[in-house]
Amino acid sequence: DDEYEGGVTGQRKYTRDFLLTFSDQFNDLPSGFEIGPDMVDALMSGHVAASHLVDRDSY
Amino acid sequence: DESGSGNLLRSPATPLIPHPLENSWTLWFASPAAKNKQAAWESSLRLIYTFSTVQEFWSLYNNIHPPSKLAPGADLYCFKHKIEPKWEDPICANGGKWSVNCTRGKADTLWLYTLLAMIGEQFDYGDEICGAVVNVRGKQEKIGLWTKTATNEAAQTSIGRQWKELLDYNETIGFIFHDEAKRLERSAKNRHTNSD
Repeated sequence: DDEYEGGVTGQRKYTRDFLLTFSDQFNDLPSGFEIGPDMVDALMSGHVAASHLVDRDSY
Repeated sequence: DESGSGNLLRSPATPLIPHPLENSWTLWFASPAAKNKQAAWESSLRLIYTFSTVQEFWSLYNNIHPPSKLAPGADLYCFKHKIEPKWEDPICANGGKWSVNCTRGKADTLWLYTLLAMIGEQFDYGDEICGAVVNVRGKQEKIGLWTKTATNEAAQTSIGRQWKELLDYNETIGFIFHDEAKRLERSAKNRHTNSD
């Protein structure tokens, strides 16, 4: 079990505080994201769910 | 820098430089609606997205509901890429899970901190981690941290202790072996506990 002591060198470790510094910088969906319409309402937060439902031909 | 990219500048002022994660992680979702329509839980489980950088994680996280906004019956999983969140997965088969429970609507921070600890490789026995799940139910939310080798007591004890510290969670948590959960269902007993 000693191989685990102190962690493995070369690992990309990021602390919570470091990761949280990026929390509000990335609000667009990641590239290549696709989801079935049946999942949108159940899983996606309001902003995206609404954008999927907008009828752009309304005007 | 052996990768030649020199891109691990740890400054939030350089958001366009990708921060790669040690592992790729896949988000899975089982919606209560799909469960109602189809008898098998497995068929309700959908792969949502696989991410491998800090930026992709936040792009995904910021667009999906936190546990408190998911409907009762929903399950949200974040597992290492190529490990399926099932007892039958060959990497999970001999594993188990630590669990924390909280009242409905209270798991959001615990879930986020669990995700950040996993993707940031904050566990000494990180190789033992398979992934995490949040089960949203009518009156409670439960987070499970799945690990690979249930009988490796040193690893499980370390993971349980670190997880409690990372979550600042003070109640006793228990570890259940998947094979016992499968055979005994709700009567499966905790095989490791951490009440520190």
